[in-house]
Amino acid sequence: MNIRANIKTNGFGKLFSRQESAPIVIFIAMIIIVASIQSNFFTPSSLKNSLNSFAPLILMAMGQAIVLVSGGLDLSSGTSMALMLCVLTRIMKKDDPVTGVWALLVALGVMLGIGLLNGAAVGYLKLPPIIATFATSYIWFGIALFVTPTPGGESVNWMRAFFDFNAVNNMPDWLKAFGAVVPTSVLLILAGCVVWYIVSRTKTGRYMYAVGSNRVTAYQSGIKTAKIQTTAYILNSFFLLLCALFFTAQNQAGSARIGDPLTLQCIAAAVVGGIALNGGRGNVFLAIIGAVIMSLVGKIIFFANMPDAYQTLVSGVIIIIAIASSAVYSTLNERAALRGGK
Amino acid sequence: MEKNIMVLNKTGPISSFYQRYRKMIIAVVLIALIYIVGHIATGSFLSIANVLLTLKFATFIALFGLCQMLVICSGGDIDLSVGYVATLVVILTANVMDGHNETLWIAILIAIGIGCVVGLGNGLLTAYVKLPSLVVTMAMANIVQGVVNVYSAGSGLSGQPSPVLQQLSAKMTGIFPNIVWVLIAAAVVVMLIMYRTKIGVKLMGVGSNPVAAFLSGVNVKRVRTIAFVVSGAIAGLVGLLLIGNSGMAFKDMGSMYVMPSIAAVVIGGLSLNGGEGNYIGVILGAVVLQALTNLFVAFGWGDAGKWLGYGIILLLMLIAYVREKTNR
Repeated sequence: MNIRANIKTNGFGKLFSRQESAPIVIFIAMIIIVASIQSNFFTPSSLKNSLNSFAPLILMAMGQAIVLVSGGLDLSSGTSMALMLCVLTRIMKKDDPVTGVWALLVALGVMLGIGLLNGAAVGYLKLPPIIATFATSYIWFGIALFVTPTPGGESVNWMRAFFDFNAVNNMPDWLKAFGAVVPTSVLLILAGCVVWYIVSRTKTGRYMYAVGSNRVTAYQSGIKTAKIQTTAYILNSFFLLLCALFFTAQNQAGSARIGDPLTLQCIAAAVVGGIALNGGRGNVFLAIIGAVIMSLVGKIIFFANMPDAYQTLVSGVIIIIAIASSAVYSTLNERAALRGGK
Repeated sequence: MEKNIMVLNKTGPISSFYQRYRKMIIAVVLIALIYIVGHIATGSFLSIANVLLTLKFATFIALFGLCQMLVICSGGDIDLSVGYVATLVVILTANVMDGHNETLWIAILIAIGIGCVVGLGNGLLTAYVKLPSLVVTMAMANIVQGVVNVYSAGSGLSGQPSPVLQQLSAKMTGIFPNIVWVLIAAAVVVMLIMYRTKIGVKLMGVGSNPVAAFLSGVNVKRVRTIAFVVSGAIAGLVGLLLIGNSGMAFKDMGSMYVMPSIAAVVIGGLSLNGGEGNYIGVILGAVVLQALTNLFVAFGWGDAGKWLGYGIILLLMLIAYVREKTNR
């Protein structure tokens, strides 16, 4: 990758040869398109609604990005998120605020369990990540069905703070005023960004890139690859927990099937954001851009007055186009770099 | 040194038989175990009728497993679109047949046509554009399910399978389900093709060592694409059997077979890196899964237990068979 940066001496070319530039250009284009279709897109209430509907995919894509960077893949992210959601809504009782604390503690335990098992299967047992997380996704789905056979459950009132400060009964007024300006979804995403920023400055964060780009070399230079990958999966399930908390607060009910469509979408979002599927490249911020692009596509479909039935069809087509074009783009870029090097 | 000598000593006929068929023997032992546990726990699990019923439903898993086996064999790819192709075929052909035998051939053409188109898309994107098969076929599954949604929203679900199909896949001769003959025929044909013809050798060669296959003049990309196309076509035909069995069309008929079809290949002991084509193993894997489902139904655990059990057995089999031996 370094070769490429050295060859392009022209500033403009340098800008466009960077991995991040393509998603950002698409991102800006999408914003312009959506803003031109939907005249009130930039009004605060509409922006807030959009952010709230984008937030779950953004959070899941951020988690997926960490796993991808460290050379893995998580096909179980949808179902493990649903499992945490089911556990949360099953334990909580509407009238008893204390149950919220217990639910949070149990959910934290489930989060660790999910991350550890996925990480152990990929890191310590050395199973191919795709098929290992495919298998665990059915374990999470089965447990979630045991916990919540039919959609339902309830949530305590203070938990609604994860969706909207104004929905909580005895919230101080200044927090309510703050919540009216900044939606909680933004705070959750910011919290995720801060966590990633801190992790990426540590040794562990650096090692993730090393393991992702070449696991054998990383192992031979003394990095505990299994431990690093397990850490990545645990971080991923932390983001999934944030997403589950958001869903709990938003719907106040759980369903084992809520995550099914989100798994593929969050992988696609990460890829659209420019994160390599074979690891070692990208970061959480690119995943956010990718997730927003994917969500805006959904918005465009909605505003183009397409019937609901077309949603799945179009999103499948877009995922293929997005992934294919990102593959073609990076191949062309690398070829161009090689040609320039001669 | 001592270890080596011991291995050399162990080449008696029984142990060499065991070495060769180890994974299939494990699958058979698993089936026996499930039946014994079920019989002890419920008291009425082990009967010939029950075994034949298990075989009948295992047939669908095994036939989807065949699609999966071809794709996995040719290079370790996975086809997640098989079940959805079957659903689309079910939805489209139900109206065409509508209880008559005369239009069955049109239904068969539709089944093969749809399967080939979807398979071609999967194959081209995977082999030529070099995208990860899992993401491609998952997205393709989305597209196919989207077509199903659009079609059923537009014209509703109606129609019936032709009587011949019903006779073939739902009825029994005595206590023997007719559809098991389909499985036996498929097993014989597939085993002959895989181990006695050039096609099989090419397919396994491409899977086990693509570079060697390429150097000996095999068009690797084309073989892989063809594997996807054939997988799609078979999935389409299995769709016809599915509607023959149920008698009517549902919107999510085939999608629940996707996961078991992959699990069957893993339990059958085939390498997920490609290059192996032992279809008997896949059939045994399918029987293990179906017997397990029956066991959970007997215990009253229903859907949740089924998926949990599938997940756990798939993970355990992966740990036993697929662990990579490299240091990293």
